[in-house]
Amino acid sequence: MNLFQFRSAVTLALLAFAVSAFGAEHVVAQKGKAFSVKKLSVKLGDSVKFVNEDPFSHNIFSLSDAKSFDLGSYGVGLSKTVVFDKPGTVEIECAVHPDMKMIVEVSK
Amino acid sequence: MTIDALRCMRAAALTLACALLPLASEAAPSATDASAQGALLPRDSRDAGIFRGGLVYANYCVTCHGFNADGNGRAARLYNPRPANLRMSDKNDAYFGLIIRQGGEAMGRSQFMPPWGAELTDEQVNDLVIYLRSINARPKE
Repeated sequence: MNLFQFRSAVTLALLAFAVSAFGAEHVVAQKGKAFSVKKLSVKLGDSVKFVNEDPFSHNIFSLSDAKSFDLGSYGVGLSKTVVFDKPGTVEIECAVHPDMKMIVEVSK
Repeated sequence: MTIDALRCMRAAALTLACALLPLASEAAPSATDASAQGALLPRDSRDAGIFRGGLVYANYCVTCHGFNADGNGRAARLYNPRPANLRMSDKNDAYFGLIIRQGGEAMGRSQFMPPWGAELTDEQVNDLVIYLRSINARPKE
């Protein structure tokens, strides 16, 4: 194995470690006062990026045992990211728009 | 708590608001024309504002401020400081209107109180203020 091959192997190994250690990122849009998906399955350690594609503010919060949080309000074009670090069912809501709800299933 | 349970709670809140309407009318009888349509409240009457404001409250505010408006909503445990006890608030109507429209952060309060100005109409905000005034139990100084 020459030096180039060795460096490539190390880089690939580091990338694989990073993906497994930090998880994948999923993107959910908030548009038309609705989430782009009603249900999302993710792995433990994955993150979900919520992107506000509406011309007004949104909010993200959850009261579920697997993940309780409130990310506050955020405006047009902005996003908030949540890392799911505990397995279970997480019900996501928007405080500004009570009919906006979705579920994130976090599996091991 | 499941989404179905939350929907049931919201339905219960709306039912409660509907049930309180006759009580409000009895407490402050207005010069309503008891026509063949029944005892309709004048649209601009205080009682009508309390009724409509109660519906707004049940839909948008109850999650944090609670059914009793005492700051003990189901989401209250997420926040420090806790949501305001609106029954004991010493703020005037103008302040209520501002913090509802602009949110808590703009008023130097909690960043988690959303700005409702883009979501609620002026009539809804005014009705909500009337409703909050009607339930305020703070002793007058």
